[in-house]
Amino acid sequence: MAVATGLLMALTLAGAVLAVSLRNILHAVFGLAISLLGIAGLFFALNAPFVGAMEVLIYVGGISVAMIFVVMLSSVVGKHAEESSRRKLLAALIVAPLFAGLALIITGTELGDPPAYVRGNSPEAIGEALLDHYNLAFEALSVVLLIAIVGAIVIARHNPSDTPPGESDV
Amino acid sequence: MTVTADGLYQLQPYLLFGLLLFCLGLYGVLSRRNLIAILIGVELMLNAASINFLAFNNFTNPDATTGQVVVLFIIGLAAAEVAIALAIVLSVHRIRHSIDVDELKDLKG
Repeated sequence: MAVATGLLMALTLAGAVLAVSLRNILHAVFGLAISLLGIAGLFFALNAPFVGAMEVLIYVGGISVAMIFVVMLSSVVGKHAEESSRRKLLAALIVAPLFAGLALIITGTELGDPPAYVRGNSPEAIGEALLDHYNLAFEALSVVLLIAIVGAIVIARHNPSDTPPGESDV
Repeated sequence: MTVTADGLYQLQPYLLFGLLLFCLGLYGVLSRRNLIAILIGVELMLNAASINFLAFNNFTNPDATTGQVVVLFIIGLAAAEVAIALAIVLSVHRIRHSIDVDELKDLKG
């Protein structure tokens, strides 16, 4: 079990490194998809198979594919220049202290013993929790999703008057 | 790290893994200029948070559903965020013919 978990973590981190470092943005999206598959596997290892399945369906099957569509529609594949090394260095200088500090806190904190509970992680239990205790948040999220869908259509809709004068529509 | 009767207490590796993933995502957001690449970094950070929620849920929480419900909310909000963000990317590309954040300086395009 520990070996499988370690392999999944390595896969996820490798995909994430590809996603943040590859110049070709389409390849970066593929790296993200690999990383998300690894994360879905870790969800299974963390005793949450339903959430892992949802991760594959929504993230890998939906979000990654939507990103690939937009990359191809916006035709930026291969046209993007390498980031300047100054920008990379600056980002690393911001991220490295954050990582070091939080890692020190995590490794220095004494965590209590794990509880020996029998876990109910079935989809039925999650559904009951969603519609019972978290009903208000659940309904609010559905409204948010509805507004996001309508907003995305309104924003992405082709409006010829948006084009600056003198340029032809693409 | 606490060692218990049934083996190694495994929360800490997951926390360190989540931290590493979050830092990679933050690095992507800070170092990239392409709007879609920045969005990829944000997704990595959201997933690092999900991993943390499920790790704490699995190792410390008596109610197994709480963390899973939170992660489902994170996934739902991420879907909404990506839909809006990709629509904005398409719109920006149509108007400016570029999705490089260094070239997007005007408030009114």
